Amino acid sequence: MSNAVLDAIRKRRVVREMTDEPVTQAQLEQILDAGRWAPTGGNMRQNRFVVVQDEKIKGLIYQVAPGMFQRPPVIILICTDLGVARAHQISDDSLTFPMDVGKAAQNMALAAHSLGLATGPVTSFSQSAVNRILNLPEAFVPHMFICLGHAAEVSQFNVRPWQRITWRDLTFYDRFPSDSGGE
Amino acid sequence: MSEETSNGIISEDQAVELLALFVSSAQLLMHEPAHYGPLRLLTATERLSAMMLEKATEETRPFLELAIERIPQMHVQMSDVPAYKAGLEELNAAIGDCLVRRAGLEEGASQ
Repeated sequence: MSNAVLDAIRKRRVVREMTDEPVTQAQLEQILDAGRWAPTGGNMRQNRFVVVQDEKIKGLIYQVAPGMFQRPPVIILICTDLGVARAHQISDDSLTFPMDVGKAAQNMALAAHSLGLATGPVTSFSQSAVNRILNLPEAFVPHMFICLGHAAEVSQFNVRPWQRITWRDLTFYDRFPSDSGGE
Repeated sequence: MSEETSNGIISEDQAVELLALFVSSAQLLMHEPAHYGPLRLLTATERLSAMMLEKATEETRPFLELAIERIPQMHVQMSDVPAYKAGLEELNAAIGDCLVRRAGLEEGASQ
């Protein structure tokens, strides 16, 4: 039986070459809304999204983001607002924050896929340079760019394409046996 | 500096773009996988080659064209170590040929 959610999860791919075809404002807002609906630790809702469409600013980000191979029409930066976290007396280095960024990113990627768009996450960028370029508030920590656009019809950069694994390779049940290195 | 090498081959904007790539890569590589180091160097090579292509001499142009074509393919092959090594061999042989041509040492070249 067809299941749209499972189909989207299986068919979404990281896209590293995009066309310059624009993303509509309606599409962008649907994707941002999907990010908003991602769960956050303690329901703190500390994720913040910075949308960059200005060509000059995108060009500057590209220059300090060695992991960005795309030249997408839209870049979404997912940040943590530490101001929210501090108000809840959560430490700045809590692991909750990058996990929550990941959840929002995956929601956005799946939403984009469902709309016929492509995404590519980028975490290899200079945070300090991006802080300056975007003039981010002091409490905003930039974690991940989501490049958003339309996939180019070329062979996409695909790391380890020959490794085919299933959930069975990743999954264990209950307690590990005593010879597995556990206590 | 010879006339040939003083042809203003890249602009200040392009040079700053490379500086940004170098310093951001240096910071990131402190905590990224070791094999990302060669990847960043190749990215810089590809970008510099594209910047140089328009004004490059005939002696240099073949290497630049190879780098622009070959390096994106190598990104795809990064986890296929033999293919990646073959790509590096090809590029290094080509830069060797480029240096020989630029020095006027090619067989039959006028000295």
